[in-house]
Amino acid sequence: MSLAIIDAREWQNTFDLETGQPQTSESPAADMAARVLSRHPYPGDVDEKANQWVTGTALELIDRYDPDLVCVSYVQQFFADRHFRYARKERERLFASAMEEAERFIEKSGFTPVIVGTGDMIPLKGEMDLSGLDGLAVSSNWSARYCGIHAPSRHDMAFLDSLDTLERIVSRDQWIQMFATAQHDLEIHQDTNLMPDFLLAARQGHAFKTMGTTLRKPVHIPAKNFLVPVFSPLGRVDDLRDIKPLIRSRLPDHKIALILVEGVGERFFPASRFMCQNGVDWFCNEPGDAFYLTVSTGKHQPFAYPAGYRFFDKDADAIKFPFSGYMDTIPEHTLAQDFPGKSIAVGNRSMFMHMVFGVDISIECFARNLFNQGCMAVVHREDK
Amino acid sequence: MKCHFCERRCDLADGRSFCGNFAEENGKIKERWPDQWCTYSPSRIESVPFYHAYPGSRSMIIGTAGCNFRCRYCSYGFIACKDPAQLQDVMYTIAPEKLVAMAKKMGCHNIVFNVNEPAVSLPSLQRVKKYAEKQDIPMGCLTNGYITPEATQMMAEIFSFVHIGLKGFSDAFYKEFVGIPHIAPILRNIETFSRTCHVEIASPVIEDVNDHELFDIARFIHDIRQDIPWHVFRLLPEHNMKQSVYPNIDRMNQALETSRSLLPYIYFHNFVGSRWVNTLCPGCGEVVIKRFSLGCSGDRLDAFLAPDNTCTCCGTAISMLGTRVGWNDKQTTVWESVI
Ligand SMILES: [Zn+2]
Repeated sequence: MSLAIIDAREWQNTFDLETGQPQTSESPAADMAARVLSRHPYPGDVDEKANQWVTGTALELIDRYDPDLVCVSYVQQFFADRHFRYARKERERLFASAMEEAERFIEKSGFTPVIVGTGDMIPLKGEMDLSGLDGLAVSSNWSARYCGIHAPSRHDMAFLDSLDTLERIVSRDQWIQMFATAQHDLEIHQDTNLMPDFLLAARQGHAFKTMGTTLRKPVHIPAKNFLVPVFSPLGRVDDLRDIKPLIRSRLPDHKIALILVEGVGERFFPASRFMCQNGVDWFCNEPGDAFYLTVSTGKHQPFAYPAGYRFFDKDADAIKFPFSGYMDTIPEHTLAQDFPGKSIAVGNRSMFMHMVFGVDISIECFARNLFNQGCMAVVHREDK
Repeated sequence: MKCHFCERRCDLADGRSFCGNFAEENGKIKERWPDQWCTYSPSRIESVPFYHAYPGSRSMIIGTAGCNFRCRYCSYGFIACKDPAQLQDVMYTIAPEKLVAMAKKMGCHNIVFNVNEPAVSLPSLQRVKKYAEKQDIPMGCLTNGYITPEATQMMAEIFSFVHIGLKGFSDAFYKEFVGIPHIAPILRNIETFSRTCHVEIASPVIEDVNDHELFDIARFIHDIRQDIPWHVFRLLPEHNMKQSVYPNIDRMNQALETSRSLLPYIYFHNFVGSRWVNTLCPGCGEVVIKRFSLGCSGDRLDAFLAPDNTCTCCGTAISMLGTRVGWNDKQTTVWESVI
């Protein structure tokens, strides 16, 4: 059983990760994680100290658990840049300091890094309001480029065709087929009937305004980052999917830290960086679960939680993995899942850090829509 | 000319109302931004949180912009505490019949006005009600209760279930944290609503600020009707209180202990993993409704163990508007039939 230890500030509780039921635990690892949590209260997603929290927490967890593999995410700069307007200099400093924090972690931990950026952010030029369709447009809080259309009328299709800011309209079958060709063992864990009839992709700089998008209008959104920066002294990779095999092949003789830095593009990376393919043809991953899962599993994962998914029509009366966002199973083939050594993850990307890497122990913030509720540790196993 | 929607009773001759939503035109009050919504999204009714109305149901959450309060800790300050004129690019313009059709497309059992104060958008909400009624879709809302008797009457006609914020129990608290002079109109309106609507009450607790008023609130609710559910929220310091400390959960729970003898349905939540979200039978103390709380609009039904709203152990009736509704009961895929 995987345990979730929730720290809501001066108040801790342990739960079964899968059922959400309270648990009493005598697990030494859970006890250790709980003590780490109480020493590192989360400052909040857009707080300047949120990335230092990641480093500090990860270093303490390394100290106590002695892992061989660490997965870390730095996301404060992404949240801040997405929601708030900064002067140009201040914005540069935001991204540069995220990289400095990653470097501080590497220096203090002594781990060999593989740093992956999710690519540049650019100003939002405009939004397409699709609330007036006869069918239903569904986007998500964190997607800018994609939107799903369910049961459109002929009139809807004519309207969509007329939008200059729309890059393309792709049918569900075309979308699935494109990835099935690129990934012979493509996995679709969700109900395809709840996937949209058509996927829309916005032109660069444009986003959608529909059911499911955030109440906070974004200031910056991800660019079309078909190439993302990677820094890796362990060797070069050409595609995000190659990172997993690279790390796994070098783990026997290295302690390795996979570090994801969200919203950060090429020019903030060290000079010896290289660029790496993200996605297929016209589809690039935005920062988020699909990006993380692609890196971690070494497979394309656009359908782990498909864009435009009619999530609310899922049969949802039973509680499953209530602390894990939309995820209702532990993903397979993740980076650390069958790794015999010890592994941890720490990050300020909430709700899925503990699911996407398959590590033994993870600590992440517990924030929803930027509301800071505390932190969560997950202990998947402690038999190593 | 004075605005008659909220107890600020703004003089519209000065321009627009405090909330920014009303102005005077040809001797009449004009709604400045009719049919404009900041959101329309499906959510669990428990996340609002209504705990004693249509448990398990899917609600379409709507809201507008602007508010008659300026709570220091507002969680939606970026929408509620802004002039609606400045938010035009984030709003959706959706005609009332279309909004109701949207609720049907998304398989929602009811419509709940959340986010900001409904009194600032009552004319639009009256129009929505007209279509919702035809489609048999009940409407509910969250209100701060600082509204005129006329507006209370209008709201009671639109909404069959109302969640009222009772944020403290003194003029001093309301003056300092909310920016209004008197609590009396709110207390008056809670009594009015409780006569015609299903009512739940919510109070955010701020340690060392209003925790000493909890028992007074409990006694006030008890004297109206003791089966009114009372939600005590651990305040999540937001907006202008971001730097404040988080109230201590054990101490705040302890502070509620004396109130529990007065009211059978007290819930203490708004933090992940709360243990005080289940409904216990007032007769025998058995758990009759189990819930799970992720805090912060993340509550959900876990198990409804009271068929026909009755405790299976002792037969005591559990106070409830409607009864258990399955999450997918209203799901529809044949949208041509929608309106
Ligand atoms: Zn009973």
